[in-house]
Amino acid sequence: MKFWGVRFGSIAAAVLGALLLQGVAGHFGDFIVHLVVLAGLYVTLAVSLNLINGITGQFSIGHAAFYQVGAYSAGYLATRFHPKFHGPETIWLVIVMAAGALGACIAGLIVGLPSLRLKGDYLAIVTLGFGEIIRIVVQNQDALGASYGFTVAPRIQIVSVVWLLAILCIAVCRNLLKSAHGLTFLAVREDEVASSAMGVNVTRTKVTAFIIGSAFAGAAGALYAHAQAFISPSLFTMDVSFIIVTMVVLGGTGSITGSAVAAVILFYLPEKMRDLSEIQNSKILGFSIGLILVIVFIRQMMEKYHGPKATKGWIITGGVVGGVVISYILAAILHAIPALQGVTEGSKLRMVVFAVTLIVLMLLRPQGIFAHHEFSLSWVAKLFGKKDVPRVEVSA
Amino acid sequence: MTKEYFSIKLGVAALALGMIAASGCGDKPADPGTTTTTTTGTTATNTDKPAGDAPAGERKAPPVDGPKVADGEDIKISAIGSLTGDQKPWGTDSLDGANMALEDFNKQGGIPGHKIVILPGDSASKPEQAQTAAEKAIADGAIAIVGEVASGHTIQIAKSAFPKGIPVVAVGATKTTLTNEGTNVFRVCYTDDVQGPVMAKFAYDKLGLRKMAMMTDNKQPYSQGLSASFAAAFKKFGGEIVDEQKYESGNTQFSGQITQLAAKQPDGMFLSGYFTEVGPIAQAARQAGLSKVKFLGGDGWDSPSLLTSGGDAIIGSYFCNHYNNADDRPQVKTFEEEYKAKHDGKLPGTTMAALGYDAMMLTLQRLKAAKSLSSKDLIASLEDTTDYKGITGDITLKGMNGNPPKRAIVVEVAKPDAQGQWQKFATAYTPDQVK
Amino acid sequence: MHLPSVLVAGLDFSTLPQQVVNGILLGAIYALIALGYTMVYGVLKLINFAHGEVFMLGAYTALFVSWGLGYKPTDNPTGSSPFNLLLMLLASMLVCAVIGVLIERFAYRPMRSQARIASLITAIGMSLFLQYGGQLVLPNSPPQNIAGKINPYQGNIAIPLRGKNADLVAQAAKAKPAFDQAQAAFQEDLKHEKSEFDLTPQGQALSDAAHKAERTYNDLQNKADASGLQVNLPQGQMIMLVTTLVLMGLLTYLVMYTKRGRAMRAVSHDFDSAALMGVNVNSIVTFTFILGSSLAGAGAMMNATFLTGTKIDTFFGMLPGVKAFVAAVLGGIGNIPGAVLGGLLMGVAETLVVWAGYSSYRDAIAFVILIVVLLFRPGGLMGSSKVEKV
Repeated sequence: MKFWGVRFGSIAAAVLGALLLQGVAGHFGDFIVHLVVLAGLYVTLAVSLNLINGITGQFSIGHAAFYQVGAYSAGYLATRFHPKFHGPETIWLVIVMAAGALGACIAGLIVGLPSLRLKGDYLAIVTLGFGEIIRIVVQNQDALGASYGFTVAPRIQIVSVVWLLAILCIAVCRNLLKSAHGLTFLAVREDEVASSAMGVNVTRTKVTAFIIGSAFAGAAGALYAHAQAFISPSLFTMDVSFIIVTMVVLGGTGSITGSAVAAVILFYLPEKMRDLSEIQNSKILGFSIGLILVIVFIRQMMEKYHGPKATKGWIITGGVVGGVVISYILAAILHAIPALQGVTEGSKLRMVVFAVTLIVLMLLRPQGIFAHHEFSLSWVAKLFGKKDVPRVEVSA
Repeated sequence: MTKEYFSIKLGVAALALGMIAASGCGDKPADPGTTTTTTTGTTATNTDKPAGDAPAGERKAPPVDGPKVADGEDIKISAIGSLTGDQKPWGTDSLDGANMALEDFNKQGGIPGHKIVILPGDSASKPEQAQTAAEKAIADGAIAIVGEVASGHTIQIAKSAFPKGIPVVAVGATKTTLTNEGTNVFRVCYTDDVQGPVMAKFAYDKLGLRKMAMMTDNKQPYSQGLSASFAAAFKKFGGEIVDEQKYESGNTQFSGQITQLAAKQPDGMFLSGYFTEVGPIAQAARQAGLSKVKFLGGDGWDSPSLLTSGGDAIIGSYFCNHYNNADDRPQVKTFEEEYKAKHDGKLPGTTMAALGYDAMMLTLQRLKAAKSLSSKDLIASLEDTTDYKGITGDITLKGMNGNPPKRAIVVEVAKPDAQGQWQKFATAYTPDQVK
Repeated sequence: MHLPSVLVAGLDFSTLPQQVVNGILLGAIYALIALGYTMVYGVLKLINFAHGEVFMLGAYTALFVSWGLGYKPTDNPTGSSPFNLLLMLLASMLVCAVIGVLIERFAYRPMRSQARIASLITAIGMSLFLQYGGQLVLPNSPPQNIAGKINPYQGNIAIPLRGKNADLVAQAAKAKPAFDQAQAAFQEDLKHEKSEFDLTPQGQALSDAAHKAERTYNDLQNKADASGLQVNLPQGQMIMLVTTLVLMGLLTYLVMYTKRGRAMRAVSHDFDSAALMGVNVNSIVTFTFILGSSLAGAGAMMNATFLTGTKIDTFFGMLPGVKAFVAAVLGGIGNIPGAVLGGLLMGVAETLVVWAGYSSYRDAIAFVILIVVLLFRPGGLMGSSKVEKV
């Protein structure tokens, strides 16, 4: 049966892919392994947040709190019980993930239940507030290292486990989305009153979304604790929540593929920029600003100009050329002025990149890269020319 | 729906409050402390509080041998400091000193056949960044790490270096338990075991104080350790600690803690934290009416920013430091001349420049004297250090568990003189004098 | 009525009045920032996340102006004049107003047609951009301080709540001559000594005696002081409180008794109807941002100058911003007196948490208040507790 064939095929491919990734990354040394692990964790975080924000429409911006609960649960267990544990590390990771997920579930319940009636802005602030409360409470537990942090031993970084978790998260979210349950999530997102009138238990739906989303974040947190070997409250500030939100928004709220892709991009780019020299960063900055200007210019032209099409083409060309020129000039300016040299230092640009991404995205393309589209095999098939390919997924 | 909703709200609120309350009180489980694992799987746990402490008991040797330098290869030594953030003055100074040391070492001949490269790393005033910087340095092939100034950061560097067998020479980290992280951890400065009693003795004998209150930075293992050390010594000498208030680096408001503390009417306050908060705390204390209270502290005060943030309040206070720019010793004079030549005639702002120089120069000289150019032999060579004449004093590491017995000086915070010097020498103690 | 320092279950009631005063002074700052939040939310129904960063930029403006006036860390000023403070205040208010207008014009106005979430995300993005972008161009490592010297009013106003015990005061006074004598003897000896801490045995004995006398005297003085109860008001902070009240008075006048103010209230009541009635809503929104941002700027300048030791870096505005937002919600968002009330309550709540001994939870209390308010009375103290019906 084609249906099951595709299913098992995908799962097998995913597992093989994860193991392959582990082998490849291992070749490059611990530092690269660490980066790959972090990327995988961010994918899990972004997709799990997307379940709450994009699919169920509950604007939650305190996701780092669940991450933290998972991490600290795992850390605590590791310090007390790992010395007595004598099995393979992978099994330990599974145990710890389950514990992290459980802890985060409880936190998700605590955050989700009172937020039921709140919408939009207020919900966002409340989730942020809960995130901070959890962070401050953890920060005051001397047994958990207080505000300095504490060491989680031993350090375990297994790429395949991390990416399998990410794949599991994607699979679960996707299956939820395509099933009858998924439709209730979407319904609640679109119009709570109407869905309630249609018999959907809005409360239960929202709480479920929170619990599942937070559980995955907690599992990711558990893996994070072991990958970092040292966790402190400053690793789980509001900024981390904002980074995850940016990933979801960039990818397109409601698109699982989008969140995953955006997570990898937004994680990788700043890491790469950290290593780039100051000249290259000037160029990147200059070109980004130039690109934005070009896009805005072209958009304005397209809306306002009603002349012949050929002239439109010239305008676009002119705009692009002008943009390139401006980019070089900007890059040169950034490079030349000593006072601005600090601007182009890679490591400091990271959060600025995130902030600008958010703003520009909202101004130009609020629906994100993928909007609400997903990656699917039928889409690939369409690329190759096959027309009228039926969607392989089963809709409820 | 309203009724059901309300009871849900109440229930969750109660659950949440209950959890918060439960987490706050009740008997604490045995503190996890830290564990170190070796490749053979044996672990050593300990129940020291707080969780930034290294295991007590004997230092263990690293499980693996660190990297070797092949023929013709560059020798890479990592220098980590806080080049950004609150502790920027220390980071830039210590790296300045380290670079100067390399230059001088090369002028004296260097190590023939190999170029020595310093890999700078930025710990950005955060322990996690220090960890990342250390790991990056190790990944880039460093055979030794020189750094850091803050104990909290150095602990993370040590934890990253231990499993890889790489020696760490700390510049200004004074937390006593730091060197317990492994036999590969050394330092060129004194420890809090010396600093605390020095200030306690000074307070008791020289200033005649009997009732001290302490303000401890609960986010810095250095401050926690130093406060404990001071309190123990002060009580031993016969004094009384009337109150201890906690704050965290990054806080800007201290009036609450000061008010609480003032009610106990101390005659002195021990501010064991870093200069970034000490200045504001002193000002807040004066504003709260504690006009006669004397402020004392440790080497965490050592930065010109102390004067800006402390204003008039901090003038006339005393703290413990590593050496003084007015010292007569020839090494100090040479170093100062060299530093002035490179920095527009200015003297170093903090003692970390000299300590950074000492740390790097010691490492380079011990590397030259080592059996081979490898981390393992460098560790052995460092362990053998006897009577190394540093700018900040004589350094002996042999049999000292990584902690050289060094003289500690007490300086008074004075208004800057014509050359901008604001640390007035008060008195000095050797470790034996404060036992 | 003779209230000794009662320690009830660890609570020291003798420090309570001072803490309440501290709380009110802190709350004044929160109130100033909260006013900005509440007004913007009133007209735009938008939580201006970037307001905390406007606050931060106001502090930087004050810092740079103080440098320009000759109070750089490397300078050695001797005194100051009220004119300096006034200049800093006006500069901060002006710069913040401009920045507020720019943010509104380029980040929020294009978002008005979009979903509310989009505006919120833009606001978050703007806030992050100012924080981290500021990190790259503003001096923040290490964090900066405004030189305390720029405040010419350095004294303390001590308000006695309960007089000291006359007997104890007399006892202390009797001990003073002995102390003076011992001190003088030591000072005389010091002239022949190498240094204060390198004394001959005879000098050491005199020093010890002087210290002992000082201790005795201090102990008696402390006992006398403890028998009384007083509240310390640093002069600078009193100025801060007065300025805050004046600014709030001005604001109330503006909003209640002028045409513009009426237009503002109309827009906050119903955006579209106000437009239909001929109100230039864009101009009113800009005006709102000017008002709110300049108040934040004033608050920032006073916070950085009078609350000594305040460290300025680009994250300086984040926490006060969030707390002020909670204050606005507490008072009833959209309600101007509510914002003031909320701010004061927040300040007092925070200081009381410290007073109770939980200083490390001081930031958490803000969020706890937020959640409690949103759960049980979303309209705030002075708002209506309307339930959204369908």
